[in-house]
Amino acid sequence: MDGRVRPVVLREFYRKGGRVMEAGSAKWQRNLFIASFIIPTFVFFCVFTIYPVAKGLYYSMFDWSGMSQTKDFIGFGNFKEMFRDPIVWRAIGNDYFLVVGKIVGIMVLATFFAVALTRFNFKMAGFFRSIFFIPNVISVVVIGVLWNFIYNPQIGFLNAFLSLFTDEKVSITWLGFTNHTIWMLLPPAIWAGIGFYMILLIAAIQNIPASYYEAADLEGAGQWTQFRRITVPLIWEQMKVSILNIMMTTLNGSFVIVWIMTEGGPDNSTQVMGSYLYQMAFRQYHFGFGAAIGVLILVLSLITTVVLQRLLRHETVELS
Amino acid sequence: MNNGIRNPIVKFAFYAILILWGLSVLYPLLWTLLDALKNNDQFFRHLPWALPEAPLLWSNFSYVWNKYNFDSYFLNSIIITVGSTLLGLLLAATTAYVLARYKFRGSGALYLLYIASMMVPFILALIPLFFLMNSFHLINTKIGLILVYTSSVLAFGIFVLVGFFKSLPKELEEASIMDGASYFGTFFRVMLPLSQPGLITVAIVNVLNIWNEYIVGTILVNDPTQYTLPVEIGVMQAEMQYRTEWGPLFAALFFTIVPVLLVYIVFQRKIASGITAGAVK
Repeated sequence: MDGRVRPVVLREFYRKGGRVMEAGSAKWQRNLFIASFIIPTFVFFCVFTIYPVAKGLYYSMFDWSGMSQTKDFIGFGNFKEMFRDPIVWRAIGNDYFLVVGKIVGIMVLATFFAVALTRFNFKMAGFFRSIFFIPNVISVVVIGVLWNFIYNPQIGFLNAFLSLFTDEKVSITWLGFTNHTIWMLLPPAIWAGIGFYMILLIAAIQNIPASYYEAADLEGAGQWTQFRRITVPLIWEQMKVSILNIMMTTLNGSFVIVWIMTEGGPDNSTQVMGSYLYQMAFRQYHFGFGAAIGVLILVLSLITTVVLQRLLRHETVELS
Repeated sequence: MNNGIRNPIVKFAFYAILILWGLSVLYPLLWTLLDALKNNDQFFRHLPWALPEAPLLWSNFSYVWNKYNFDSYFLNSIIITVGSTLLGLLLAATTAYVLARYKFRGSGALYLLYIASMMVPFILALIPLFFLMNSFHLINTKIGLILVYTSSVLAFGIFVLVGFFKSLPKELEEASIMDGASYFGTFFRVMLPLSQPGLITVAIVNVLNIWNEYIVGTILVNDPTQYTLPVEIGVMQAEMQYRTEWGPLFAALFFTIVPVLLVYIVFQRKIASGITAGAVK
């Protein structure tokens, strides 16, 4: 029996006797069904996601050590204190350093890999694609520990490798510079991020009709021209999504790699907003202040989203 | 037909880059295994890339498993990952189905709310979550983590599954209702089996994310018997400053990596389609 006959039969069924009663009960059943599928999820979501987010905004207005019963409403006091705190500014700077560094590093490499593994007829492209994604399935904690070992001053890879070229044994404490230690966190962040965006861009490239490239080939356009004139304009949407996603996940989640590798040190020089939030709230019990940093992260990621969308839209116009 | 790269030098250079990157990805995995078989002495005497000396210290694995209680962390991680993935799947699939198929007052707004929530930094909710779970007496419990993880994967699941349910033909449901099945029967016996590919995609992506999750785990759990694997790895790493046991640390990393690696090898395609589906996120 094919399905097309049945709706007619259904209508026939309702047209016959007992229509009012049937319809009333059917409507009730339908509503009951909708409610029972929507409400549990929604309640769950309200309790464990919406309520905490709203409460985070609320807590940011209080001076509160968490343990004591007294919460003092101080309005924007936490925010004023926050902007006077040099570590907050440093954290913002570090966050944006990572955002820019990751966007450049990940987008250049992910785009290169995506193009190389789809357009260049390379052997073993499928194999490369599979293994390049592996860092993305590994926990950031594990990645942090592995890279800590690479940077380890006594027994790490990097110093041992550099020692091959020098007379004396190199013993640089890579994660101990008072300045620029944040640079050391960029390679692991880029290494860990590429696979995801590569897969995204590969899917986008595979959606481009082959005829576009065939036409370009006939006209004698080389790979570079094809990349600039066909690939980039047609995957620009996905590249934009990738850039926005890198920005969001960095502002929101770079905390983990920082915490595992440096705990924000030395001397708060690698602090990012997330790690400072964690330290203020759960180490120093300034929960109100921590919540205010959370609001700062929200506001900055919204502003950056808007700004990036402006910038990237402009770019599209130029390209097409 | 695509000609690929013609210039042999460029071609060679590109291959070299791909192979180097491939090594940078594969080598750490191999080295995690090799270093798990060394004792401390070998770490300090030999170069980091030296092979472990005989006899290989397979005992590091059992040492971590028993002395560091990785048996219970492993079990905790499995219970929490499976529990929140299944619960998340059920809650997301039911709502996604209704949002995809039935119009009711506020259905559009509800869908937008779920999607918009993916844009809000989760870290903002961290502090209130701690106090919320504390007031429920769910700190240091697996249930607590399961509830929070479930909630955190809902939006993604709803987003992907609404799209998936919309792509299924409507005739099947009409036929099922005609045959006298209830709305519930239709969903569980007809639609759910049909949406298996979508469900698996969502499940796999969620399994990976939950298994690897660290922040929420650290904040909601401080009782060492309730740690998940990433939380324990974080703790071990911090303790390395006082007691250096490099071999066991690498064995611990190995235990944490292997399950996700297996999941990845088996479900590669599903993961790729999950990423592409969630791209708008």
